[in-house]
Order: sequence, then structure tokens, then C-alpha cells
Amino acid sequence: MGQSMSRRFLMVFGAALVAVAGASVAANYSLWVNGRTGGGVAGNYADFTYWGPAGTAAGVNKKAVNWDGYSHISDKNYLVRNALDCFCTGTNWCYVAAHSAGDLMIGYTLAMYGGSSRYKKNATPGSDGSCANSDGTTQAGWNIKWVDVAAGASGGSELANAGDWALSEPLVSDLKTGTARAMYDHNNTRAKMFYLWAGAKGTLYSFVLPGQDDEAVAYHSSGGVSGSGGGSYCNPSDWFCNDLTLGTAATEGGTAKWSNHSVVFRDDAEAYNHYTNGNWQGTVGLVRTDMVNYAK
Amino acid sequence: MRPAAWLAGAALAGLIAWWAWPRAATVPEAQAAVQRGAHLALPAGPASAASRPQGSPFTDAALRERLLQRERLLQRLERARFTLATYRDQTRYPHESRPIGEHPDQVHPFVPIRESLPLRFPGSKGAVPGVRILTTQDRVFMSGEEAVKVSVTAQDETGRTLPLLITRAVAFDLPDPRQVAGRPQLALDFTGSEGVYSAQFQPSRTAFADFAGTVRLQVTLSQDGRQGVVNFDIVYQPLVPAEWGAISDRVIDGSLDFVVGLNVKRAGRYVVNARVDDAKGEPFALVSFNEELGSGAQTARLRVFGKLLRDGSPAMPLRLRDLQGFLLVPDSFPDRAMLARREGVVYKSGSYPIKSFSDAEWSSEERDRYLAELGKDVSQLEAQLKPPGH
Repeated sequence: MGQSMSRRFLMVFGAALVAVAGASVAANYSLWVNGRTGGGVAGNYADFTYWGPAGTAAGVNKKAVNWDGYSHISDKNYLVRNALDCFCTGTNWCYVAAHSAGDLMIGYTLAMYGGSSRYKKNATPGSDGSCANSDGTTQAGWNIKWVDVAAGASGGSELANAGDWALSEPLVSDLKTGTARAMYDHNNTRAKMFYLWAGAKGTLYSFVLPGQDDEAVAYHSSGGVSGSGGGSYCNPSDWFCNDLTLGTAATEGGTAKWSNHSVVFRDDAEAYNHYTNGNWQGTVGLVRTDMVNYAK
Repeated sequence: MRPAAWLAGAALAGLIAWWAWPRAATVPEAQAAVQRGAHLALPAGPASAASRPQGSPFTDAALRERLLQRERLLQRLERARFTLATYRDQTRYPHESRPIGEHPDQVHPFVPIRESLPLRFPGSKGAVPGVRILTTQDRVFMSGEEAVKVSVTAQDETGRTLPLLITRAVAFDLPDPRQVAGRPQLALDFTGSEGVYSAQFQPSRTAFADFAGTVRLQVTLSQDGRQGVVNFDIVYQPLVPAEWGAISDRVIDGSLDFVVGLNVKRAGRYVVNARVDDAKGEPFALVSFNEELGSGAQTARLRVFGKLLRDGSPAMPLRLRDLQGFLLVPDSFPDRAMLARREGVVYKSGSYPIKSFSDAEWSSEERDRYLAELGKDVSQLEAQLKPPGH
């Protein structure tokens, strides 16, 4: 009887140990994909230079997925795939936050490579940001729960169309509205929700950016409105322009949003511009709060 | 990490957890009464000092904090449930076989891009008032012998066409660190009719025949003496990586497959998609293929998933329309080499009874993995919100 009890205790204890060991391996991560201008060192997931002080809370196990914010999306896409391989395969899962052209980057990644076969990795990156295989097995796509987007530029910007941004930047030609929208099927998120925060504190380029804008992108992009070209969308207070609706519903006027894109925040008070100011500001600040509250 | 270290760490963690675990016996009666209602449950409003039970260890601030914590848990649960429900609903069909309604801007992929722009020069602090420039462009990514068609016109705010003059139109390459910039600019020939000016540009017939990258067509406009610029960008790749072959269809695994033949000259990841219309020409589905192909004779399977057919009951036969495809080249620019477009209906399926298709939802390791994880998130949050003992 006593021996049986001891054996049962050992079995339970052993099972508990296995559970503890397993639980310590599986983890959730918060990946932050930057936009134009970059700033952080590529492959250094602790470098939050683009966003703000690295000590600021920004979701569970936060990682800065740095790319130069200058090159073509396709040229630097391996950096994002490396990060997703590292932290979002096997038993690990990710929440993703993106800003501006980071929206184009993560959308492109999912649409083009979201179903590709990925080696499961050990979440221990080397200096180049890549990780070693964990057990040599593969899986289809990455483990991503959802994506938060501040001031998304996946629909492009008229500032790129008009030539206001430097021609010498390869990324600028990607951000032309027609090019950004033709680059991939934005509806193909592989069933991941894209939650969108759209700012409207723009004044400087209102004669170029249609409808409301945050000084870099207009609502047609930050609000995830579908179509091959940009359109004009506003806050409800503007009677002469169709409203950008909240949620996944079509805009006033009937233009659909991209599938799985939901507007969480529309800047009715015109209080948020495009820029982080190196201090988690603009709509990035709102996304950061969302990541803190939901990316656990 | 060595097994011994694992065991020691796990044992230490267990001891800490045992020590830190809240003891039911130490919970005061007032707090326990609250907890019997719901974990983290509190009175509806912030408790005042007068309403707080005597001897409560909670300050008003602590009570408010607990109320806030519960509210946050509820919000997390709401998102977790939405995430799970969305994923489950979206993956009844595989990602490669979708209702066309989910892809509103992919129904007619070859319709030209239409944009409306102000008349201005880059860098200027304003635009010409009362004038909009309307442009069309029928493609962005192109290869081989393809040509792009562009047009431009001016309108006033009521939509009335305004007189317009094209003072300069040139094609030039955008800077790219991979190649020497500064090829000689090429003049473009626009022709006008009723205020609409259009041009066609075929890189393979120009000095850009061997160029891979972005070519900008820049048009300088004058509307009643007021000037501005519009730009059309194309991404050109001389390589045509494969030729289309024959198309056939078959019913297999409870689904309808369109099997598209390809003669692959350059091996790699091919992205192919097409629209599926019903017998009346109503758009029904978007089908796609994204896989590695070797060189030589290959096929791309475009599957109309059985359950999608059962749920939508489209009139047979189905028509495969607007077929497009490209070789996706990772980590380079251009990132794709296009196959020639195949516009319009390219194939008609056989007529099959709808009931010959499977009604089963998509099943895969990927879907199981997601449903398990997202379901776990919901369960854990529900458990945190449950009253103890329930």
C-alpha cells in the first residue's frame, strides 16, 4: 500500500515535472515590425530605437523586428521571416504589432509565405537574427494570433505617388498607392485579424492625401479600405466625405474593407499623427496600450 | 540545458509556487463572500468607505483595481473568443479556395487602376484649385513582351472634362543599388481624344529590354497654363519564367480541381490564381496556388473546395476566369517574374451534381494547431473568470 502510494506520488510528480518543463518551453511573443526610416539594428530583437525606450512595456516578451525602412519590402522580407521562424513556430505563438510600412511588410509576408513550410526554431537568435532548428520538423506557416497595426501603409501613400518623398529610397516606390495595392492580395491574411488604428492629425499634406490623414497616410490605407487605388474617407463630422466606419463593415458609400481588417480606432478628435517621435507616440502609443492589455 | 538543471529548476519552481499559492484559510470572510459571487467579482460601483464591510482589507483603490482587472479579463476573453470564432469560421474552407466575396478587389484583377490626384509639382505647398487629374494604369508588374497602358485626363469638381496639355512625357529607371542608374530617358508618345490622353509602353521594345526594376513614366501636364506632374510606375522583369499549358478538371477528394499545366523554365515558388464564375457568369470563388515547382512540365492545382461548392451551390458548369501567375523570387527586387495574363474565361468545367462534393470542413494540422491554441486561450480566460468551486 505504502509502496503503491509512493509510486503513484512519483508518477504524479513526474507528470507535473514534464508539464512544468513543457510550459517553460512554450511561450508567447510580441513582435514589433517597424515602418519607413527604420533605425534599429537588423537582427537585434532588443533594439527598440525606432519605437521608443526599450524599457517600456509593449506586450509579452517583446521583440523588435528591425529592418532598414529604406529598401524594397521584398529585399528585406527575410528579416521578418527570420523573426517569425524564431518566435512563432513549434510551441511558441506570436502577437504582431506593425507601424506604417511595417503593415505592408507583414501583410506581404503572410500573403506570399503564410502557407509555406517552416522549420520549427529554438527561439534563441544569433547575432544575425536567425535561430537554429529545434527538432528538425516543419510546420505550415507561422503561429500568429492576431496583428495590431498603427497607421498602416499597406494601401500606400499619395506622398509616394506625387514624388514628395525621396526618389532614391527604394521603399518609396513600393509605397505608391497603385504599387502597394497590387503587390499582394491584402485580403489573404490566412485568417488572422488585422486590428487597425487610424490617425487624423494631419494638416501639412491635406491637399495631397485624400480625406483624413495623419500626415503620412490617409484613411483609405490606415483604415484598410480595399481597391486598386486610394479613396477619400473621413470622420463622421465631415458631411461632404464618406465615413471610415469602425469594425469590419464597409465604408459609407459601400466600399469594402480588406477581409479580416477591423478598424479599432478612428481619430474623430484629430489628435494623433503618424510619428512615434522615438517615444511610442502617435497611434503607435494606442497600439502599445493594446499590446500591453491583450498580448499576454 | 542539462536534465539535472531542468529537474532542479522545476523542483525549485514548484517549491516557490507552493509557498506563493494563496491560502483559502487566510481569506477574510468578507472577501470570500465576494469571491463566492465570482472570481474578481466586486460590487457594481467602487465601494465607498461606508459601504465597505467592516474589517475589509481592501482600500477603495484596491477594490477599484480589482474591478479593473476583471474588466480587462472580460475584454481579453471577448477578443480571444472573437479570434477563435473568426479563425474557425474562416478556415471551414482552405486558404487557397475562398468565396470571392472575401476578396472584393480581386474579382476583376485586370481592370485598370483608377486614381484621382491633385494637379501639382512634388514639394509644392499646395495644389491647383478646382482641378483633379484622373489616371488609369492597367498593370504594375510585367514581364517579357507585356505592355502597360496608361491614361490621364483633367476634370473640374463637377466631373466636367477640362482641356489639358502634355508638355513632357518620359520613361526613366528609379535608382536601385543593384544596378547602374541613369539610363537615357525615353520620350513617351501620348495621343489624345476628347481630353483623355493615353500611351502604351512596352519595355522589351526599348532600351529597357534587359532592365529589371522600376521604370517611372513621368508626365508633365498643363491645364490652362497651370502645371503639375503625374507618375506611373511599373516593375519590369524581362524573364518570363514559364508558359501556360493545357487546363483540365477533375473531381477528387470531394472537391473540384482545375489542373493548370505549366512548362516551367525557371524552378521556384509559383503563385497562381484565378476566379471561378458560375454558369451564369456570377463570380463565385477565388482559387490559388502557392508552391515550389521544379523545371519542365508541371501542374498547378486550383481547387474549388467541396464544402464551398456545397454551401454556395453554384450553377454548373463552372468557368475559370482571369488566370494569372508569377514566379516569386525571395529576397530580391523585382520579387516576381510574371507569366502572360490570361484574360477572360479560360476553361469550363464539366457539369457535376453538387451533391457529388464533400460537405466536410477543411481539416489540416495547421487548422488543428490553431483551434487548439486559440481554444486554450478562451478556456484559460473563462477559468480565470469563474467563481472558485465552479
